[in-house]
Amino acid sequence: MDYILLLPVVFPILAGIILLLKKEYQKRTTLLVSVGIVLLLTGGLAFGGIFLAEEGITAFYLTRTLPIFFKVDTLGGFFAGIVTVVWILAGFFSFEYMKHEKNEKRYYGFYLIIFGILIGLGFAGNLITMYLFYEFMTLASMPLVLHSQTREAVMAGLKYLFFSFAGAYMALFGIYFICHYGATLEFAGKGVIPASVLSEHSTLFLVVTMLMLIGFGVKAGMFPLHAWLPTAHPVAPGPASAALSGVIVKAGVLAVIRVVYQMIGVEFLRGTWVQTVWMTLALITVFMGSLLAFREPVLKKRLAYSTVSQLSYILFGLAVMEPEAMSGALLHAAAHAFIKVALFLCAAAIIYQTGCKRVEELRGIGRGMPVTLWCYTIVSLGLIGIPPASGFVSKWHLAVGALHSGIPVFSWLGPVVLLVSALLTAGYLLPITMQGFFPGEHYDASRFEHKEPSVLMLVPLLILAAMTILIGIMPGILTGALDAFAGWVM
Amino acid sequence: MEIIRNFPCLSILLAMFSAIISSALKGKGARWLNTFVIIVVGALSAAALYMTMTTGESYVYVMGHVPAPFGNEIRFGSLEPGVALFFCVIMLLSLNGGRKKLLLEIDPGKENLYYIMVDLLLSSLLALVYTNDLFTAYVFVEINTIAACGLIMITERGRTIEAAARYMIMSLLGSGLFLIGICLLYDMTGHLLMSYIRVSIEDIVASGMYHAPLLVTIALIVVGLAIKSALFPFHAWLPDAYGYSTVSSAAMLSSLVSKGYIFLLIKLIYRVIGFDTFLNSRIINVLFVFGLAGMIMGSISAIRENDIRRMISFSSVAQIGYIYMGFGLGTSAGMVASIFHILSHAATKSLLFVSGVGLTDVSGGHKEFVELTGSGYRNVAAGIAFMVGSLSMVGIPAFSGFISKLLFAQAAVQHNQFAKLLPTLIVLAVSTVLNTIYFMKTVIRIYTPTGGTSYVAPGNARHEDQKYASVSIKENPLYVITLLCFIILNIILGMCSQPITDWITQGLSVFA
Amino acid sequence: MNAFILFFVVLIPCIGGVLTAVIPWKKRTHMLVFLEGLVIANSVLVWLLLFHPPQEMFTMINLTGNLTLAFKLDGLGSIFAGLVSFLWPLATLYAFEYMTKEEHEKVFFMFYTVTYGVTLGIALADNIVTMYCFYELLTLVTVPLVMHTLTREAILASRKYLYYSIGGAAFAFIGMIFILIYGESPDFILGGVLDAAKLGEGTNVFLLIYVLAFFGFGVKAAVCPFNSWLPQAGVAPTPVTALLHAVAVVKSGAFAIMRLTYYCFGADFLRGTWAQYLVMAVVMFTIVYGCSMALKETHLKRRLAFSTISNLSYILFGVVIMTPLGLVGALSHMVFHAFMKICSFFCAGAVMHQTERHYIHQLDGLGRKMPRVFAVFTLSALALMGVPGLCGFISKWNLAAAAIDSGNVLAYFGIGTLLISALLTAIYMLTIVVRAYFPGADFDYSKIADIRDPNWQMLLPLFVFVIGIVGFGLCSAPVTELFLSIAQGGF
Repeated sequence: MDYILLLPVVFPILAGIILLLKKEYQKRTTLLVSVGIVLLLTGGLAFGGIFLAEEGITAFYLTRTLPIFFKVDTLGGFFAGIVTVVWILAGFFSFEYMKHEKNEKRYYGFYLIIFGILIGLGFAGNLITMYLFYEFMTLASMPLVLHSQTREAVMAGLKYLFFSFAGAYMALFGIYFICHYGATLEFAGKGVIPASVLSEHSTLFLVVTMLMLIGFGVKAGMFPLHAWLPTAHPVAPGPASAALSGVIVKAGVLAVIRVVYQMIGVEFLRGTWVQTVWMTLALITVFMGSLLAFREPVLKKRLAYSTVSQLSYILFGLAVMEPEAMSGALLHAAAHAFIKVALFLCAAAIIYQTGCKRVEELRGIGRGMPVTLWCYTIVSLGLIGIPPASGFVSKWHLAVGALHSGIPVFSWLGPVVLLVSALLTAGYLLPITMQGFFPGEHYDASRFEHKEPSVLMLVPLLILAAMTILIGIMPGILTGALDAFAGWVM
Repeated sequence: MEIIRNFPCLSILLAMFSAIISSALKGKGARWLNTFVIIVVGALSAAALYMTMTTGESYVYVMGHVPAPFGNEIRFGSLEPGVALFFCVIMLLSLNGGRKKLLLEIDPGKENLYYIMVDLLLSSLLALVYTNDLFTAYVFVEINTIAACGLIMITERGRTIEAAARYMIMSLLGSGLFLIGICLLYDMTGHLLMSYIRVSIEDIVASGMYHAPLLVTIALIVVGLAIKSALFPFHAWLPDAYGYSTVSSAAMLSSLVSKGYIFLLIKLIYRVIGFDTFLNSRIINVLFVFGLAGMIMGSISAIRENDIRRMISFSSVAQIGYIYMGFGLGTSAGMVASIFHILSHAATKSLLFVSGVGLTDVSGGHKEFVELTGSGYRNVAAGIAFMVGSLSMVGIPAFSGFISKLLFAQAAVQHNQFAKLLPTLIVLAVSTVLNTIYFMKTVIRIYTPTGGTSYVAPGNARHEDQKYASVSIKENPLYVITLLCFIILNIILGMCSQPITDWITQGLSVFA
Repeated sequence: MNAFILFFVVLIPCIGGVLTAVIPWKKRTHMLVFLEGLVIANSVLVWLLLFHPPQEMFTMINLTGNLTLAFKLDGLGSIFAGLVSFLWPLATLYAFEYMTKEEHEKVFFMFYTVTYGVTLGIALADNIVTMYCFYELLTLVTVPLVMHTLTREAILASRKYLYYSIGGAAFAFIGMIFILIYGESPDFILGGVLDAAKLGEGTNVFLLIYVLAFFGFGVKAAVCPFNSWLPQAGVAPTPVTALLHAVAVVKSGAFAIMRLTYYCFGADFLRGTWAQYLVMAVVMFTIVYGCSMALKETHLKRRLAFSTISNLSYILFGVVIMTPLGLVGALSHMVFHAFMKICSFFCAGAVMHQTERHYIHQLDGLGRKMPRVFAVFTLSALALMGVPGLCGFISKWNLAAAAIDSGNVLAYFGIGTLLISALLTAIYMLTIVVRAYFPGADFDYSKIADIRDPNWQMLLPLFVFVIGIVGFGLCSAPVTELFLSIAQGGF
């Protein structure tokens, strides 16, 4: 019994609840110190869980047939690792950032709760546990979205909620069927539903899979239910939107892999209309997201659209159903997590220091905030896919996998769309760098003088930028495990 | 035991003679004599009932020692004395319930006239119940009509005269048709004694002759009696007659007079025409359809009515529809249900009339619903009684209406033709809904406090404004006791119906 | 155990209720202590019965022929009786505090307590006649409760309630007669009592009768199109709307349909017929209809009432799947929904009692001022949505599992309906929650400065319900298995 798996899940949730209920934490330093300790401790516990646990643990039974079961496999550990890193960094970033926001206590309370929930999502060993944490994640993250309580934020929060639940319930429809027909609820390598059942009820299962794809795809911002994302992510406080856009969207990806690969099994889906539709939707989203980002003048919204587009890179990689594409997709998930968090944190730092939200206001910002802008530039290059940053490797694997797959049309159309989108990515990210550093001769950038943020904000940015480079140079630290995982499920 | 055989005849004569004596008495004397006679007749009927129940046979009493087939006969099994007893009970209760009101409504000095009419009514009802002779039946039908007219117009005010005239015309039309029917029967069979006619009719049917005349005869008799008992669509006279006459009259008319005709019709069906012959004629389907239509249309008219008395009257149309529907089913179960409903409806409807007048009295004599608001608080006994009556009409378990509804439904379900089964059940249910609407609307109305819509702040303890005075139970003990008896009767019919249905079944078996 | 006690538990509240109205109480507290003691004692008695069920039945009276009023405790009945007797003392406690602001307390408590007995009568009925009688009686004793405020609105609502209920009973009556005539016995027997020999050719007629009776009893369970009485009846005081219009009365309707379907006509007879498809389609429509109407509604209690309409049809959806698993789903939703809905209604009542606010747009910012009430409300909202870990999820799970297991394609769509409804539930419940907690950045809290949580009499029931909601959500195996054994006739 690996009780260590329960600790990083329960501890931050309890800490968050206590934080919400207790009145004593009104003093800021006390609050920050305790939150910091909880974050670090949970991080330690999480990594402990990832590396030490082997067997898994059944916490309790919802009904006789529905155990709440935790177990770490490669994918879960990978996800939990990303979460832990990002959460701690963004958490420390917000210590500084949240100074100018109200209701800090509530923010940190929910921040910690979601931390626990996300780790729980990663550690979930069966479908029902995953669904449980998936729903909790939606509920707990909503207060972060509408934190500022402006009308816009509240409406965005509700939109987020309802899209998410719509998706979750579509997925639940499928989960009902999987649980009924599946041999087990635990995540297995190549699906749990007996082949005889699949062939007997093939139409049913295709429809169900499609519904689950669209349902979980909501979280990952997949067309057609992506509209919440550009609304909800930007209204949250800076670090929160970073966390939302960098990590929580990945929960959708995680769920898709769990269900499609590990519950239904790709053997059944390969070559069906579901695959075709899925790839089509993913490519549409890739292209559309980039295009919308390109046209968007508000920085945070632009980044949100970028998330929409990048997430569908990952989904496309999964839809191809090739091992190489899959490990590329997973690598891209990691890369995108760090990059997008870094981008949002940069945006947050800029807003915090200067109050500028629109792209055209950022001319000449490189004068006053060079470190921030350098970090921004490095991770932007990663997202575009320029070596040696991380995005290059992952996109390479994606494209190669797609070309190998031999699916008519899509095997070449996919890489083409990815390339076009990469160009667009360059088009919407790099002008900020260029105008930031080279505002033109007669431009007065003096209002940005000495606006460099404090260490508490800069260090997380630097770490994230470094990690982007690191993954780009040494992808081997991750690809080994990911390839093995891809081989296991296919 | 031998002497008991004379009781039916004796009770008819007793009632007639008391009418004659009453004409010489003053009001009070007539009243006491009438009460006495009703009780005695009831006792006699009870004795006859006891005898017939123990022996389980029917008896023929030959009048004047003229032997059949020429003389005049009285015949009774267990059904007849039971019905007679029941009629006596209802009559007594109805009179007691309206006694005080009657004194206020009629001119002084006319009280004895009223009781003469009541005595005559009683004797004619008894005769209709007991007689075995067609012509005697006709004579008493006419006496009944005249007595009923007298009861309607005794108050001589408002629309009662008009109502009585209307009743008279319609009734005479009915008895005219009935008379033609009798003539035709006599023409075909040469008999007036019922048992003999049936034997002849069986021969006629067997021989296949007189097919059309027989059908016409049945139709004439049935339509004649249907007009008199206010079967839809011949009910136009009813709301005025019941709605404007004094309360005792209305109660007796609705629960006894029309039921007397219906009982006569049952007798004709069983004893004269023969159940099978009746079943094979198409008339039965006509009755069925009219019955169903009456159930619905009567209730709809009642819903649209804005006057409590007329509403209760229209409800009678619906209830009579139930009874004819039971005939129309053409099974013995349907017939049992109909007879039970005759009793149940008689008990309930007179209760409603009597309690209704209690409610209108505490509302300044107004019969409109608006004025009745909150009257259930002003006259508690009448309110409760009206509620019981309404619940019984709606068919709530534990009250008599439930059992009759149940019997009808069971009869329908056991029917082997789906063409009759489904319409019956559905109309039964729809009619229950309609009954609920108008009765429960009234019940809620009488328990809605006046003063209307606003919520009275704490401190203003009672919020009925004192527009109308309240009546306490002690002011009119007779009235309250009457209501109590009605309620008990209703509950007995509702809770202990098994012996009653057994009795009806047994009575029907020796009826023909 | 003597079977007489079965009758006794029905009788005690009836007598006690009447006594409450008759005795001239010197102090209010005395009446309250008496009532609460009575109700608790009766509930204890019921629970004793549940654990030591008497095997024989108790015959009260014979109306006529095979019409016998008799009581017996079987599995299905014990669930309903247990549920009702658990909730009643809590609701009574809540009502004490709530009714301080209403008039005619004595009359109210009389009918409120009598209703307890009558509801138990429905639960413990041994045969369809008894159930029908108590069903009618239930209508009558609850009408004064709906009328209680005696406003014009209340009068209209009670009228409508009466018409609908009695009208429904009239159709249910037809079903009852059929069972009496064509059944082998009027008693409830799992698997149905229809006598195959007597059925003959008229299967379609029997199915039609089933449909009629379904809608007849369905009136109380607020099946579309006979649901409009329920939101209107929300004018009654909250203890009534919460306990009667979310549990006792409406669940009696659902309970009666369970009896009708599984214990009279028999699920095997009905499964796969047009009647099943028809009622299932109607039920599915009601699920969505109730939710959509709830979404439109701006009055808090009426919104909850529409939500009840939809949730009742969840129960009926389980029933009309017509398999043992379907019954399990129906039973679990019957029990769990009782907890969730009474909880949310009591929260609404607490808000109305403390603030006199009835509309949803008036609830801004109350989450901070009435933290306990709104925490409970949020929890019940999440449970109604079916968030895992709370009881609503379990019942939906059971329903969906039953639907899949039945292999009925329409039932598959039914699962979809359940999920659409879950989404709509999320929308109409969470907008309230969000409004209460996040009234907007510039919200002026000084306007609602003197609003606070109600006293313990109102809060205690709420916390008990919360324990139920979470407890059943986390550990439902024992109850679900109990339901399963009942549905398979083991108990």
